[in-house]
This record gives sequence, structure tokens and C-alpha cells, in this order.
Amino acid sequence: MKSLRHRAQATVVAASPALLLLLGACMEERRTDSVQIGYRGVAMEQNYTRGDVKKKFAQVKIPDPLPPAGEYPPGPLPWRNVQVLNDVSPTEFLRTMTAMSTWVAGTGNCAYCHNVAALWSDTLPNGKPIYTKLVARRMLQMTRHINAQYPQHVKNTGVTCYTCHLGKPLPNGLWFYSDQTDYLRHYLDRDGARVVSQQMAPSRTGNRSSVKQTEWTYALMISQSTSLGVNCTYCHNSRQFASWTQAPPARVSAYHGILMLRDVNTSYLSPLQPVYPAVRLGNLGDAPKAQCVTCHNGNYKPLYGAQMVKYYPALWGRPDWNGVPFKGVNRSTMDSTKARMDSAAATPATVKKSAKGPSSPATGGVQTAPAGGTR
Amino acid sequence: MLEYQNLFTRVQVRTVPELGLPIPGSPGGRVGKGFFSSLAGKFGDAQFGPIYLGTAGVFSLLFGLAAFEIIGLNMWASVGWNPIEFIRQLPWLALEPPPPQYGLHIPPLAQGGWYLMAGFFLTISILLWWVRVFRRARALNMGTHLPWAFASAIFLFLSFFFQPLFVGSFSEMVPFGIFPHLDWTAAFSIRYGNLYYNPFHALSIVFLYGSAVLFAMHAATILAVARLGGEREIEQITDRGTAAERSMLFWRWTMGFNATMESIHRWAWWFAVLTTFTGGIGILLTGTVVDNWYLWGVKHGLVSTYPAQNMLTPEQQQLLRGRYQGTAPDTFPAYTAPVAPMMLDSTVMAVPADSTKKPADTTAAMGTAPAKPDSAGARRTP
Repeated sequence: MKSLRHRAQATVVAASPALLLLLGACMEERRTDSVQIGYRGVAMEQNYTRGDVKKKFAQVKIPDPLPPAGEYPPGPLPWRNVQVLNDVSPTEFLRTMTAMSTWVAGTGNCAYCHNVAALWSDTLPNGKPIYTKLVARRMLQMTRHINAQYPQHVKNTGVTCYTCHLGKPLPNGLWFYSDQTDYLRHYLDRDGARVVSQQMAPSRTGNRSSVKQTEWTYALMISQSTSLGVNCTYCHNSRQFASWTQAPPARVSAYHGILMLRDVNTSYLSPLQPVYPAVRLGNLGDAPKAQCVTCHNGNYKPLYGAQMVKYYPALWGRPDWNGVPFKGVNRSTMDSTKARMDSAAATPATVKKSAKGPSSPATGGVQTAPAGGTR
Repeated sequence: MLEYQNLFTRVQVRTVPELGLPIPGSPGGRVGKGFFSSLAGKFGDAQFGPIYLGTAGVFSLLFGLAAFEIIGLNMWASVGWNPIEFIRQLPWLALEPPPPQYGLHIPPLAQGGWYLMAGFFLTISILLWWVRVFRRARALNMGTHLPWAFASAIFLFLSFFFQPLFVGSFSEMVPFGIFPHLDWTAAFSIRYGNLYYNPFHALSIVFLYGSAVLFAMHAATILAVARLGGEREIEQITDRGTAAERSMLFWRWTMGFNATMESIHRWAWWFAVLTTFTGGIGILLTGTVVDNWYLWGVKHGLVSTYPAQNMLTPEQQQLLRGRYQGTAPDTFPAYTAPVAPMMLDSTVMAVPADSTKKPADTTAAMGTAPAKPDSAGARRTP
């Protein structure tokens, strides 16, 4: 009897360090701060690991803006083969190029995208196309498109190359087709994330979404949540995920973000497929595509809302910064850019805006002449 | 060492294993002669075996083994038969039900056929085990409280089969897997507009938590009067000052009401049985009678109202819902890399244009104003 009990006690004593280790792992101090973001007492709140946001904020490095470009007399650009950015002054043009060399290439090296013997050329001396230059050209168009067409998502902060690239040639979170990324095709060519019924009772003609479909939506939503470092309640009232009135206004921004991402992936990233070398393509030969984390990098606002683009009018795609016109931007371009903005306001989600100020029929005509056409 | 001993004792008796009553007319025999384990004695009776299996028990184990093997081997196959990955990813591995496009048709094995087979075998196994529980209770001339309580749990289990039948798709069934079945519960609740507003879900939770409270109250009470011989309920039940009277007196003093030695077990039995029974009803009503439990709650005054966070008109809400409403895709077509370049200005990329010499070409190549805004602008032209 006695020896039996002693043996049992010895076993417990011998196992206790292992038990302590196990408990210690669970008891790692992780205090959270809760921030109320909705009506009181309904758990509409954001939970942050204490000090986490501060730490992540300190990790975000914003490059200093380059010195502003000086005045330059109007006239054609003194270079050949300029297909983008040809509505800004040559000094502003060079300044933007310089910024890109560190934002994207990281090294400040022009040769990452250019044939240094002939900067205008799209091919290397051996005749092969410089895919980085072709991609960069398209990305410049994309950046302007995002800033001009999606004020509902990028607000007055806007995006620059650095927002996603962070000084690296490849941004984070690029995705390719695979069994594991099916849910991300919502950002490209598949619709139908809505699964919650709008009617109380089931009907044959109504919502036929399956539970499996719901899991796909769930995966999509969790990827957004982790991309932004926020809880579900950042965009939803979890008692009814489908309700827009009960949802925080951030959900409307997120919705425009989805539309933006789909546009960006469909019009800009996927079509670059023939340009890339095989090493940049996915297993199925598809081009790299973006998702929320590509820009957000785990922050609720990319770079915590640092306004970089206001120093780079060439990337802004709008003629002014909050009503203050940029210097060195061509007048004619400003007009056509403005027309593009008006037409952007005609997209369904922003009906309110266009209803307020219907634009003149003339602006529709400007559409057919893209920026730089008057040069 | 002097120690108080009663029937709730930690002393382990070692003698010839007790073989149990001979039961006349009982088919089959008991397997094993019985042995003792001191570890088992710390949790319950120190004696293991003999065990009675019988026909139902043997077939139940066989069918259960078949289901277990199908699930396990499918999971293993899903990681390419890699044993290390199988262990590492086990909590996330699943044997999934068929995709929605099969409806109630029998799918190929790899597309959920294995799932249906495993589910069938598991169901047979559980039903046979119920038969065994019923027969053993009868053989010992006991009441059939145990098999009927078990039947309540089986009812909930079968609800997860009948609900998919009612809504017309095997795909609604619960996947086999540790996290996958938890993910299913989250998705099921979201799909049907928040299951917390399902009153039968609420009842099930009440009975579940209630069971835990009753279990704690009963266990604590009996342990607390063990020092007074509280386990000898029947001898004590009519006498004054006994453990049984004190335990009842305690609750009458504490909350003004007490269960009896008999009724506390009925309370516990009904709470346990109603947990799974109400839960099963809640499942069967979901997707068949009610498609959105939140809206059901709104209709029946279950939902509290508080100020809206987003001031949106119904029209705006409808626009935000966009083109999403309706049948959603269940599968994704395979991707094939494009053969021809799709980009508008890809020709320009291949043949570099010269902006200083050919302004017209440059204009066409710019592509800063894509087709979409063009058409939008054209629509707005009166």
C-alpha cells in the first residue's frame, strides 16, 4: 500500500517539470486591449495584443520624400518611347523614376528596369525584352488607375509603388492558382461570396448557397481579417454578417477594396502573364496576383495611412491634392483626369455622388482621348 | 497510516476477479477472465473484464472499424501517404462530404463516395451498439433508461443526415475531421443567419449547461456527505439525521427547495436527454422551415434593436449587395494558362513605339483610360 502511494507520488514529482513547461507555454503573457467601435454592450470591439500595434507601427519605414522638382517650361518630353508619365514635367519625371528605383528595385539601380546603354529601349542589348520595364510601365498605369478610380477605397491617402513593394521587387502575398487558393479567386474571376439568405423562409428560387460555399466565403473573410490585423467586427456585426446598416462603415470601404482588387487583378496583373519569365509564374503558368495583404501587410491601413503619394503627383492620377493643384502637371491632362474621375463616380456603389453633381455631356467625350493625347 | 474508510474508498481490493451473475437464456458468453489494474482503480473499479460482446457488439465493432479505416486512410491519402505530415496535419485533415453539384446522387468514391460509405458504416455501427446497450440492460433486468438516453444522442447524430436529405444535398453533411467539423458548425450557423437565434439551439444549450450544473451539484452533495455514509441512500432515506437527510436539508436551507434521492436522477436524465433532443429538432428545422434564424428572431421579437452604425438607404444597401444574391458557385473550373496575350497594349510592348515621332501611336498605346470608364461615360451621355 505504502510503497504504491510513494511510487505514485514519485511519478507526479518526476512529471511536474514537464507539466510546468506545458502550463508555462499557455501562460505566456498576452494581454489584450479592447477598443469599442460600436454600440455599447454588444461586443462591437477590436482586440489588440497589448503593444502590438505600437511595435508594428514602429516597424513601418516610410522613405523620406525626394526634394520637390523645380519648374520646367512646358513642351514635349526630351526622351523617346515615353508611354506613361508623359503628362508631367521632365524634372518631376526623373524624380519619380529615382523614387521607384529604391521603392521597387530596392537598390537605387536603374538597370533593374532599363537598358543603361539605351534608357528608352524596351529590350536589352541582346534583343530580349526587359520584362521588369514592361511590368513597371503597366504598374504605373495601375497605380494611377487605383488612385483616380477608387477614392472610395484609397481615400485621399492613395497608393504608391512603395505601398505594396516596400523596397522589394516582389510584394508580399502574391498568389497563384492552386487547390489551396480557390477562395482567393473571388479577387479575380469568381463572384458569389454572399451566402446568407435575405428571406426568413427557404424557397426554391431564393438563396441556394451551400454550407461548403459558406466555408469558402469564411476562408475569404478570414484572409481579409488577417491581412488587416483586425477582428471580424471591424467590418461586420457578427450577429448578422449580411446586414449593412448594422455593420461598421469600414465594411463599405472593404467592399470597394474587393471591387478594386478584382479590377486590378483582371485588368493589370493577370494580363501580364505573357510578359513574365517562367520563374515568375505559378505552377499552372498564371501570373502573380494580388490580395488584401499585398498592400495592407497586416495593418488596418497600409503603412498606417502614411500619405506618400501627395509628394508624387505623377502617381496620383488626380490634378490636385485636396484642391491644391500640383506644380508641373500639364493643364490639359488635369482636365481629362478630372473627366475620368467623374465617370468613376458613375459606378453603382457611388450613385449618391453622381446624383449630386451630374456632369456635362462634354466630359463623356473627353473619355476617348486618354491622358497625354494632346502632346 | 490511519485513514477513514467507507464505500467511497481508495483502497484497491485484490482477489479473484468477480465474473458477474449468470444470466439464464443469454446468448453468447463473456470474453476474458478479468484482471486488475491499479491505474484503472484510481479512476474506477480496478477490475478489467470479462466483457460481453455478443453478435451486435461484434458487428458494431467491425462496422465501426471499417468507418474508422475509411476516414483515416482517406486522410492519410490526402497528404500523399506521408506519415509525418499525417501526424502533423491530423487536426486539419478531413474526409469531406460530396460537393454540392451531386445533390442526393451517389458521387464517385474520391468525390465524397468514401464519405457516404464511412457515414453509412458509422451509422450501422452506432445503431448496433444501441441494440447491444438495450439487450444488456434487459439481460440484467434493468430499466431501459440507458438505451433511451443513448437514443436521444443518436437522434441528434441522425439529424445531421436527415437535414441534408430534406434540403436535397449530401454536401450539407458534417465532414469527418477535428477542425473541419468545427469549421462546419461555424459555416452552418453563418449560412442560416446565426444559429444563436434558433430557439431549439438555445434550449439545447440550456439543457447542456444545466446538465453540467446538475452534475456538479449532485456530485458535490454526495461527496460531501460521504463522510456520513451518504452512499447508503436506501438505508438512510427514511431515517432522521442521516447523510441523506442532511444533503437534502442543505439544499432546502440554501435555496428553499430540494430534490429527492430519486428525483435528482430524473432531473439529470431529462436534462441530458433533452440536450441532444432539442438540438436535433433545431437542426431539422434549419434550412427546411427557416432559412435565416436572425430574421426569424426579428419577426418574433427576439432581436434587440440598437442604433444603426451605417446610415444607408435601402437602395444603397441593395446596390451594395450587388450581383451577389442567388445561386453561388460551388466549384471552380480548372485554370488554363492563356495562349494569346490578353493585354490591350501588349503589341506595343513587343514593338516599342517612339513617342517623339509618332504621337498618334503613343496615344493609342497609353491605355491609361481603360474600356470600362469609357462605356460608363458613354452611358451617362444624354
